[in-house]
Amino acid sequence: MHFELNYQQTWLHLLHPVLKFIIVLVLFIAILFIHNPTILLYLLIGFGVLYIGWTGHSLKLISLLSIPFFIIFVSSATSMMFFGEGNTTWYQFGLIHITEESFYRGLHLGFRGILFGLLGLLFALTTRPVLLFYSSMQSLKLNPKYAYAFMAAINLLPIMVSEFQNLRNALKVRGVTYDRGVKGFYQRIQRFSIPLLAQSIRRAHRTAIAMEAKQFSNDRTYYYQVSYSLKDLYFITLIVTIIVFSIWLSTIYPVFPVDNVRMD
Amino acid sequence: MRKGLTRTDILVTIMIALIFSVIYKIWGPLYNVLSVFGLHIDQLIYGMWFMAATVAFLIIRKPGVALLAELAAAQGEFLFGGQWGVSLLLYGFVQGIGCEVVFAIFKYKSYHLLTVCLAAVGATIGSLVLDIFYGYIDQLALWNLTLLIVARLIGAILITGVFAFYIVKALEKTGVTKLIRPLSSKDYQSLEKETG
Repeated sequence: MHFELNYQQTWLHLLHPVLKFIIVLVLFIAILFIHNPTILLYLLIGFGVLYIGWTGHSLKLISLLSIPFFIIFVSSATSMMFFGEGNTTWYQFGLIHITEESFYRGLHLGFRGILFGLLGLLFALTTRPVLLFYSSMQSLKLNPKYAYAFMAAINLLPIMVSEFQNLRNALKVRGVTYDRGVKGFYQRIQRFSIPLLAQSIRRAHRTAIAMEAKQFSNDRTYYYQVSYSLKDLYFITLIVTIIVFSIWLSTIYPVFPVDNVRMD
Repeated sequence: MRKGLTRTDILVTIMIALIFSVIYKIWGPLYNVLSVFGLHIDQLIYGMWFMAATVAFLIIRKPGVALLAELAAAQGEFLFGGQWGVSLLLYGFVQGIGCEVVFAIFKYKSYHLLTVCLAAVGATIGSLVLDIFYGYIDQLALWNLTLLIVARLIGAILITGVFAFYIVKALEKTGVTKLIRPLSSKDYQSLEKETG
């Protein structure tokens, strides 16, 4: 199986992978401490523009990947909206109890869910895994054992997929049928999971032995040399600008009447 | 007998983890669809996200494998564009630690169904702690929070515990686990019997 996405390289692709990774990680932790939904909304707009405009992928793919965002929004917002704690009741019906506090907290969680998804996709769409592992070995001193195991395993996955197709065809040729409903689901798991897992483990084992036999060692030279550039500085400046601007805008134009969704 | 993780252990663990990260990626939309129904039905399938840790540990049976598997699976899901983005890594970390602690309590020598179920509980606790920060679950109505915890625990015990245990049991029959597990004293004894 061969799978390749067509995309144009943008400046986001040329950033230092580890640096980009660390920035996204720091952003994630910082966002956990933002309890103001207005700031999140502005951040969402800022990163949304970056996501739509600069990943270098076709608009079709970008909109396709954005569909889950709505489901994420609904799923992370609803249970807090309906069942969260709060004092100012807006609506009550049976178990459902919507209060002003829980409503905005739910909204906040929805925004947060989308924002994390967006940042994750922004990273995944603009980073080649191979370069991420190479630069982790070079700048984070990640043990090559782990990095190469990861890259080898990623390359073994397509083999597993074609094996899955073979298995499915073979079962079909032999006229295997499944029951309906949950029982059928269980039968499928039984017939597919064991052979696929066993074969993958055997293959990984053989690959590891081969690596060992070829004297895989930790002091090595690298085919890809990853380095920092001015673009990294631009990226950091851009991120800081988006954050500062969002906080500033939220003080002048607060979209929502609450600035802290937590009740302490 | 060599201590620590060999290259084979690492590669096999990461291979298993990556298979699970593909499953996790598919699990995301399924989880979202279920959560639209409300009342935390989605939590019943949450346990799938802990499964890489227990399966990898049961196959390789060495310290550190559970954590490595869970982290690698999270990293894989992240690289495949998982919808939770970077938060996956932190969740992977706490869930892996949750399993690892339970296995460590038994000194990595116990592979019973009960131990695996306890590991599932450990992972659940890990994920709940992070949910306080991420999902403000401490600010749900009490009955709702209880429902969430109970549903997630049941799901975790069934999927991460029971299901993982029986999958590895079935794998043992294929003989593939003999390739990678460290030799136990039982193996040496059987060897002596044959030669003696």
